[in-house]
Amino acid sequence: MIDHDILIIGAGLAGLRAALAAKENGVDVAVVSKVHPVRSHSNAAQGGINAALTDRGDDWRDHAYDTIKGSDFLGDQDAIEIMCKEAGTEVISMENMGAIFNRDEDGKLGTRNFGGQRQARTFFVADFTGQALLHVLYEQILKAGTRIYEEWFVLSLIVKSGKCCGAVMMDIKTGKIEVVRAKAVILATGGLGRVFEPSTNALICTGDGMSLAYRAGASLMDMEMVQYHPTTIKGSGVLLSEAARGEGAYLLNSENDRFMLKYAPEFKELASRDVVSRCEQTEIDEGRGIDGCVLLDLRHLGEKFISERLSQIRELAMDFANVDMVKEPVPVMPGMHYQMGGVKADINGETGLPGLYAAGEVACVSVHGGNRLGANSLLDTLVFGKRSGMHASDMVKAIQHTNIGDSEAKNDIENINKLLSNDIGESFGQVRMDMGKGMKTHLGVYRDQSSMEKALTLVENIKNRTGEVYVSDKTKTFNTNLLFSIELGFMAECAEAIAFSAIERKESRGAHTRTDMPNRDDANWLKHILFTKKDATHEISYKDVVITDWTPVERKY
Amino acid sequence: MEVKLKIRRYDPESTDMVAHYQEFALQMDDAATVLDGLIQIREQVDGTLSLRCSCRAAICGSCAMKINGEAGLACNTKIIDVMPINGSPITIEPAGNMPVIKDLIVDFQSFWTKIKAVEPWLQPESKQPVAEYIAPEEDMIHLAGVVSCILCGACVSDCTVMEVDENFLGPAALAKAYRFTRDPRDASDDKRLSVLNEYGGVWDCTRCMKCVEVCPKGVDPMSRIMMLRERVMENGHNNTNGARHANAFFDSVKHSGWLDELKLPIKSFGIFNIKAMLGLIPLGIRAQLAGKRPPIFHKSIPGAKNVRKIFEKVENK
Amino acid sequence: MKYAFYPGCVSRGACPELYTATIEVCSILGIELDEKSLEGASCTGAGVLQEKNQRLGDTLNARTFAMAEASGLPLMTICSTCQGVMAQANERLLSDSDYLESINEDLLEEGLQYKGTIEPKHLLWVIAEDLGIEFLKSKIVRKLPGWKLAPFYGCYIVRPSKALGLDVNPDRKQALEQVIEAVGAEVVDFPGKTLCCGFPLLTINPKNSINMVANHTLDAKDRGADAMVTPCPLCHLNLDGYQPKASSVSNREIDLPIIHLPQLIGLALGIEPQKMRLNKHIVSTKKLLSELAVSP
Repeated sequence: MIDHDILIIGAGLAGLRAALAAKENGVDVAVVSKVHPVRSHSNAAQGGINAALTDRGDDWRDHAYDTIKGSDFLGDQDAIEIMCKEAGTEVISMENMGAIFNRDEDGKLGTRNFGGQRQARTFFVADFTGQALLHVLYEQILKAGTRIYEEWFVLSLIVKSGKCCGAVMMDIKTGKIEVVRAKAVILATGGLGRVFEPSTNALICTGDGMSLAYRAGASLMDMEMVQYHPTTIKGSGVLLSEAARGEGAYLLNSENDRFMLKYAPEFKELASRDVVSRCEQTEIDEGRGIDGCVLLDLRHLGEKFISERLSQIRELAMDFANVDMVKEPVPVMPGMHYQMGGVKADINGETGLPGLYAAGEVACVSVHGGNRLGANSLLDTLVFGKRSGMHASDMVKAIQHTNIGDSEAKNDIENINKLLSNDIGESFGQVRMDMGKGMKTHLGVYRDQSSMEKALTLVENIKNRTGEVYVSDKTKTFNTNLLFSIELGFMAECAEAIAFSAIERKESRGAHTRTDMPNRDDANWLKHILFTKKDATHEISYKDVVITDWTPVERKY
Repeated sequence: MEVKLKIRRYDPESTDMVAHYQEFALQMDDAATVLDGLIQIREQVDGTLSLRCSCRAAICGSCAMKINGEAGLACNTKIIDVMPINGSPITIEPAGNMPVIKDLIVDFQSFWTKIKAVEPWLQPESKQPVAEYIAPEEDMIHLAGVVSCILCGACVSDCTVMEVDENFLGPAALAKAYRFTRDPRDASDDKRLSVLNEYGGVWDCTRCMKCVEVCPKGVDPMSRIMMLRERVMENGHNNTNGARHANAFFDSVKHSGWLDELKLPIKSFGIFNIKAMLGLIPLGIRAQLAGKRPPIFHKSIPGAKNVRKIFEKVENK
Repeated sequence: MKYAFYPGCVSRGACPELYTATIEVCSILGIELDEKSLEGASCTGAGVLQEKNQRLGDTLNARTFAMAEASGLPLMTICSTCQGVMAQANERLLSDSDYLESINEDLLEEGLQYKGTIEPKHLLWVIAEDLGIEFLKSKIVRKLPGWKLAPFYGCYIVRPSKALGLDVNPDRKQALEQVIEAVGAEVVDFPGKTLCCGFPLLTINPKNSINMVANHTLDAKDRGADAMVTPCPLCHLNLDGYQPKASSVSNREIDLPIIHLPQLIGLALGIEPQKMRLNKHIVSTKKLLSELAVSP
């Protein structure tokens, strides 16, 4: 059995930031990740990170309001205040650690415009900000000498006497299973994009942490709030950053019109993402699309500008859409991208299950409410990663380990043996594809009662199939076949939470748009939906949105 | 279209533990990538096929492997671009210069060790600024070219030096070292350059440009290593064979317009390096007998003074 | 066809056989070589000068290009390294007009200006593209059947592919094999054909350099090669000159003759081996040439 004060699951931005904070606070930290830290999906974030710096004449309260409005008023305003207040410190801190942010003519940090914000406050590194920041944190972790369990897979969380006190994990290289005791566990496992098909997300984004937390007894919140990003490439689902629009790109329909001018006269292409995706979907559904897409036009920006600021997405468009954006507009469509919901966590990352924390995309604080603004996710990971690391490290100094033993791994070992002994049948790939396509169809940009009922049926069907998939690889070394089958179980549970939460919300808000209930209903639904395990099933409960200074109003862009 | 993939398989738990090639025939879209093919195999044909992959969009660096003998990312290599014209299959093998764990998965241990060896974190002056460091825009734009390295290992896979010498730090680690020497906020140039001057560092690159050719992000590691050589010499490290060689070459062309091949090896090794001088004798004798000894009296090219003028002009810039 | 001839440093120093063979071969193929126009041209820098100062290297090569332009002739090289270094310099000069302008300022005093019209071409490509393989075949009087030859390109003529125009002219990647087949010999394919001979490491890390020689020559030999053909005299120096050392280090007899590209073509064109100094290699070509029934 292995002991650590804090076990952080996930080595993306949130996980590494938490690790740094905890280590600086003098406790024994270990990070476990099913891939090498630099392979984490944080590296796919492209556009930038928001912060209101006072020396630019910006005010965190403006940033807070833009975020609250962007969330369609489902965001908890106390948490949003904290995120926006601490943003400047985090950005400067990353720069001091070595991040190569873009500069203005005076050599100070430069900004670009981004969706849903009235002022340019997005700091960026060309169009690969996520990768640049992730590598900086990885470098700092190397410097600090933090222990990383690289390519280890977490199978379950250990809960004893109502407290989370460790995890059961497998060394992917050898198949060896270990019980790890920890005084605190921080989930930083990212999102669940693979529940949908297509998605901008990497293959590793399988909702592991959300499912692990759910099975351990923590609540999932706002799971119906799934963001469709307006500019993804058809087929592959690969992301083309909002930075393109931030730097001035247009969205055109088949009639060569900048259709956003009519839907969002003030913010135009930079309205919040749910609004833009809906507008695109409307244009496509009403026959003004081209092959299921609209066009992202950057030609007027010129080759030099694109090479300096947007070179990565130019490569992506050439590789995956066969289009050089310097010469032609790129066909794009709304694609599943981000989960605003997640494991319910407070401003310090505490989930309500003692000993269990969550930060980053896996968590729902909620700072993004019904819709996340672009460039707020990188901010979320750093602010709440740090806060979770600090709070957890303070907390563990005062407590002891729980008395548990290697027998904690028994259930997981049995489950694995069961999977390995399944009859020849469906592969995990088939089940996931059915789930992904079905979830996209029934829980797309637009939903209604009938589509959501179909989603529930789909989820039931998927759940029955996940336990029976055939695992052809029976070896212990790097058995990816087995791991995918385990991930399938995580995804099915997430899909279930999404489907049940969606049908529960009887209004449209943020990314959850019901054609049969198109209006927002603040009187009845200004609250979060919680999905919690109860015996063999689940229960739905609610939590009021925290309002501080900003009264919810109708959202107009 | 029909696609044939010939994949090198290795199961460390098999009784014979021998690698072998396995062919698969697939039906794929014209726009499909090599990764699409591999995923199709593991999801529909053979679930035991093991490889690392994640983002599918050339940013995570997981899927570096040899395709038709040359390293690249499977996710941004289009099948139509690598399908041999004569109908033979596309050969897929694990990345080179690293031990194979299983199928297309290699052990990156030495790769990460070497990255760590160049101390890849910012080492600024001890006094931190109040806000951000002030830094010129063009420096950050220049660094973006090197920072775009996704640590995929393609360069290391195909590095021709690493095939004969495990000690070489390698293109990825050296490019990373360059990134810090070139960052205006980093204050540890002297220490860094001193380490890079040692065996295994900048002078061990054989300038074959394999890393430049295979890098999926245009990082151009070899150019960075060459720029480090320039920095190392400027920093006063001129007593390695490599520095002596570069200086002797420079002096020769400056003086006569072309190479004095007789003097070059002598100056590179150092004339007082008795062992090396003795080692040159057998070669010298063979060359003499074959009439391949360069002229003892080295004549300048016509108009060599014009070349000298250019040296002076550019050196003064 | 007439070319401004750029022989490079090595063919006038340690590899005089390359120079001699080139003159003989071009004479028969009708390639007219103008040596005057570039007689004042400097060394390309070979990548080594560029380590000390890349801009200096670019200026020297721009000067050479300007001289070729002044002669009105296309530029021909006979060394993979010259070819590659020139191609890389040219790419930098042609992709940034501000850079080219500032380089030209330094050439003004000598009355030279590079206008950007030169595309340096190796003899290998001149034959494969400008003359054509069919033309070469028509001039062959002595085929070399039964000869198994391993091609060795030399890094600088195969990478980086963009600067060398390989994406636009993909046949260049097979040009050496085409010539080998045209002279009636059999190609021995092996992975090392586009890898490194180790020459740049010779004075810096001789152990690694010699191991590269050993690896590639032994691999070719084990696959049945009678000899190796290369368009680069620096590769020749290492693969030929250091082969005895490589043999002793690897504890195996290698004995693989290394032939310059024009020497191979010259043999097929009927030129006497001694005229091309084939008797003046470190690794003897005697056994190979005895199959021609001509003594070296």
